[in-house]
Amino acid sequence: MLRRLLLLPPLLLAASVLVFALPRLTGADTVRTVLRARTASAVPDPAAEARVAAEFGLDGSWPEQYLRWLGAAARGDLGYSFVTRTPVAPQLGDALQVSALLAALALVLAAALGIPAGVYAARRPGGWLDRFVTGAGVAGVSVPEFVLAPVLVLLFAVHAGALPAIGWGSPSHVVLPVLTLAVYPAALAGQLVRAETIAVLGSPHVRTARAKGLTPHRVLWWHAARLSTTSVLALSGMFVSGLIGGSVVVEVVFGIPGLGRLLYDAVLAQDLPVVQAGVLAVVAIALVAGVLSEVAQRALDPVPE
Amino acid sequence: MKVFVFDPLATDFSAVLRPPSLTHLLGTDQLGRDVAARLTAGGVTTLGLTVTTVLITALAGTVIGMLGHRLLIRVADLLAALPAVLIGLVAAAVLGPGLPSVLVAVCLTGWTPFARQAHHLTVRESGRDYVTAARSLGAGRTRVLARHILPNVAGALLAHLYLRFAGTLLTVSGLSFLGLGVQPPTPEWGAMVADGRAYLFTAPHLVLAPAVAVVLVATAATVAGRRLERR
Repeated sequence: MLRRLLLLPPLLLAASVLVFALPRLTGADTVRTVLRARTASAVPDPAAEARVAAEFGLDGSWPEQYLRWLGAAARGDLGYSFVTRTPVAPQLGDALQVSALLAALALVLAAALGIPAGVYAARRPGGWLDRFVTGAGVAGVSVPEFVLAPVLVLLFAVHAGALPAIGWGSPSHVVLPVLTLAVYPAALAGQLVRAETIAVLGSPHVRTARAKGLTPHRVLWWHAARLSTTSVLALSGMFVSGLIGGSVVVEVVFGIPGLGRLLYDAVLAQDLPVVQAGVLAVVAIALVAGVLSEVAQRALDPVPE
Repeated sequence: MKVFVFDPLATDFSAVLRPPSLTHLLGTDQLGRDVAARLTAGGVTTLGLTVTTVLITALAGTVIGMLGHRLLIRVADLLAALPAVLIGLVAAAVLGPGLPSVLVAVCLTGWTPFARQAHHLTVRESGRDYVTAARSLGAGRTRVLARHILPNVAGALLAHLYLRFAGTLLTVSGLSFLGLGVQPPTPEWGAMVADGRAYLFTAPHLVLAPAVAVVLVATAATVAGRRLERR
């Protein structure tokens, strides 16, 4: 178990090297770009060039720049945005809070919908409830966020006029984005829990639990459904990637100032320090979530591979 | 059929944002372009891109999954947590928005599910008696994989191909929706949804037509994949 945790630092370092290399891969001359934006002179003066290079930490060799950048990032200094000229770290912090709230609400909603649906569908495979849940599951993974969001806006904001179509700040602004974001993980969880619970219901320990005279309800939830959590955890990478990918679309569509939106705007504006910080944050979240889920999985189900 | 009469790029400013009619089966967009013609041409773009990338990633993923070392599969496990949209954003930051960015994003993320699936199936089959029999007859590793294991896992991999087709379709059109993929004026389903959003209140058919197309194709592929999986 500890070995998996040990995998994390080298992976994060590798990710940081890639993220550091990112602006250098674009081939764009950052110093020239900044100078042109500030002075509007075609032929920049070398002294000014050196000053700007020092300002953005672009002087010295690449390994030197990398170590300096990493050291600053570790201290929470992620540089300055090219566009707003304000520090990146506070922007990233604010955006992370918004996205975390959005993702947490969506996960809670998805679990509240998906897990009971999967368990009850598994009780009678092929029954009407099972067929309904399976159908809804297929629809749920086949409808992308970029389709769901405009359709929900059309139904609830345009026709019913009950909810705001765009914006952030009040509880009513949260409803449609969370609903949009929760559909995919809910469908995924429902299908996983259903399949796993059906498999476990046929196993000897469930037969023993039944023979002991436990109520069907207790057998279903305590002896069968509980075990399906390991399979859900095993595929948590799909949940994380679905939530991150989905939140970019949802935040862009609903105008929410979260991490996905920050990253998206920065990419379109070629604001590289913000892109770097955003990508590093997302990769770190995805990797940590992946490794943690494996550790949890091993702890719950200590069967060797 | 009128669908093929209209040019998907031809504008007509005397007939903008028209609702569906007999002349324009799915109406016209904000520039008076025929939505049905754009939907057809967009389908060629979207589905062509999806089919190409799915076939490439399926081939690469299967080879890596069957031959690859366990460590490589671990890497695939971890990469699976990185969404294609993130890779697409990074690619767009480096290469600029456009077709190459989409290809990079979809190909870099698309092989991992295939590799995991192929690896899982290969490990499962390796314990079967027929593999032991082939080995004891002196068949080498490559021969066992290609002639004995591959035919037995091909069905399951085909089912996975259909499921990945659905997923890739949503990624390709999703990236175009965000403006990171195929650039205007080339019609593409995701980009059509994005363009239509500005007219959601007055001309909802601009969003609904490509949205229904994406959902129908994705659902059909998912259902087909599920059916094949169960066999």
